[in-house]
Amino acid sequence: MKAATNAARLVSQVLTGEVWPALADRHGYRVGPDGQPFVLPGMGGVTLGVHCGDPATGYAADHLEPGASIRHADPAANMAVQFLSCVGNQVRVDSGPAAGAVGHVIGQHAYVLADFAEPVAASLTTGDAVTITATGQGLRLSDHHQIVVKNCSPGLIEAMPGGTRPDGRLEVHVAARVPAEAIGAGVGMISEYANTDLMGAYEGLGDDLSLGLESLRVGDIVALADQDHRYGRGYRPGYLTIGVISTGQCLLFGHGPGPSTLLSGPAGAFHLVDDADANLASWYHGGAGWHHHGAGWSRQDNSAADHGADR
Amino acid sequence: MTAGLAAVTVNLLGTVEHPELGDSPYRVDADGVPYVPVGDGGIVLGLDLGDSVFAVHADHAAPGACLVHQAEAARHALTLYSCIGNAAQVRTGAAAGASGAVIGKRGENGRVIVGFRAGDLTRLRPGDQVSVRTRGQGFRPGWLPPAVTVMNIDPDLLAVLPVGPGHVAVRLELPARLAGSGLGRPAASWDLDLQLGPGDGADLRLGDLVAISDIDARYNMGYRRDWVSVGIVVHGASPLPGHGPGITPILTGPRGELTVRPDPDGHAGLTAALLKLQ
Repeated sequence: MKAATNAARLVSQVLTGEVWPALADRHGYRVGPDGQPFVLPGMGGVTLGVHCGDPATGYAADHLEPGASIRHADPAANMAVQFLSCVGNQVRVDSGPAAGAVGHVIGQHAYVLADFAEPVAASLTTGDAVTITATGQGLRLSDHHQIVVKNCSPGLIEAMPGGTRPDGRLEVHVAARVPAEAIGAGVGMISEYANTDLMGAYEGLGDDLSLGLESLRVGDIVALADQDHRYGRGYRPGYLTIGVISTGQCLLFGHGPGPSTLLSGPAGAFHLVDDADANLASWYHGGAGWHHHGAGWSRQDNSAADHGADR
Repeated sequence: MTAGLAAVTVNLLGTVEHPELGDSPYRVDADGVPYVPVGDGGIVLGLDLGDSVFAVHADHAAPGACLVHQAEAARHALTLYSCIGNAAQVRTGAAAGASGAVIGKRGENGRVIVGFRAGDLTRLRPGDQVSVRTRGQGFRPGWLPPAVTVMNIDPDLLAVLPVGPGHVAVRLELPARLAGSGLGRPAASWDLDLQLGPGDGADLRLGDLVAISDIDARYNMGYRRDWVSVGIVVHGASPLPGHGPGITPILTGPRGELTVRPDPDGHAGLTAALLKLQ
């Protein structure tokens, strides 16, 4: 049974932002796990060729942000954009050759990250204006009082398989389970901003770095063991956090593919089902045309999940 | 980092920090309860090396005065180059002439924690200028095993800490899953918070040496199986999730080359006596 929510009592707010540039400093290099200096793209701007459902790792990239990376130029307005945008919210392009095209928020990473069909992404660039219809903060699961919902549009909850079980627990389908040792940079930060980097996913580097997380995909729903993200992000035995992988490959040590927080509460309040299809691509960003150039994309290329309460 | 090269001393000026808060007085603790953070930076009185990290109801409180610099790049340099044990001297204000010593560093924008005798600390005022005789980065004692890295420690202090060939005495060794804020950040300037609260059954004291398993702190801090990092506890606990008592890393290496000996009851780490502040 789908979990009952207070979605009918949520409001939407219209937010604006722009595709924000990649940022660097004049020294260029950052440092990998073995001390290797590197200059690698991935953060900021519009990153092409990687979408929900694609591998999160295996790229020559650092902090790979799929699709468009969005901020607001005013610092206070930017915090509203970062805090209020929720996974699954609609993002509309308002300037440039892709004006009118629609994508979706897939997470936060000090940028709001929006995945668009590849032909749309290919025509976007830094400075293009977007409008985000923000809804989701304040969402509650009426029958799961111990579970806190964060950064999650009502449409996403509606689209995810699982729901309230006869035993009262919340069934959530997850593509991967993450051990507490993997939690890296982002621990200690608030749950409505940026994400939690997962260590142990440095594809191609030493076995002593691996925690078996090299097969994560962008958009995967994952379970983080012993993590309490109800009021920030920290270790707490017996708690569980559900997130969505919104960023990919890192070489910077202590960093890695990152889940944005969706649900958090006592582990006993959840019933996890391992499901390789537990990925945003199953509900938002799938289908021909999303991953490839060519004809067939429409300016209102909405999948089933878009017709839920987030519109 | 070549053994045998002489460490260089650089005098740098810091300013005693004034605490800063946002428009709201509240932070939110791990249970969702708002609290007003006290002791997070600036001058903290009533806390000493040797006190439990849970002794006071405060947020990241450190025993002494935090130094900053108004220019961001100079603040980072002050933090990067300052090492635990470095001598400091007050240059202005009512405590001018008083001597202190660096007892730790904190990350993000960068802070250097300086310990003083209690009488000197009470005469300090935010804005007072303190000169730090920075020395230690690049230092490498000849006895150090090749795969072990040392950082953030004054050479003269390292010589009197319970650290030497084949042994590093620590209060506790903690598992990597307790590593918190500071992961993914550079160990030369950030501390690593340990996700320990007063009810978790482990006590730590300010100044303790603590080991953490499976953490490599040579550059950024992160997970690496069969490594161990050792740090000095430089500030107390925090109600914030993901935060807690913080260590400034001083040693990191493969477990086979860096042997730590926990002594939960008898451990003596960094003390006011070792810093000649008694």
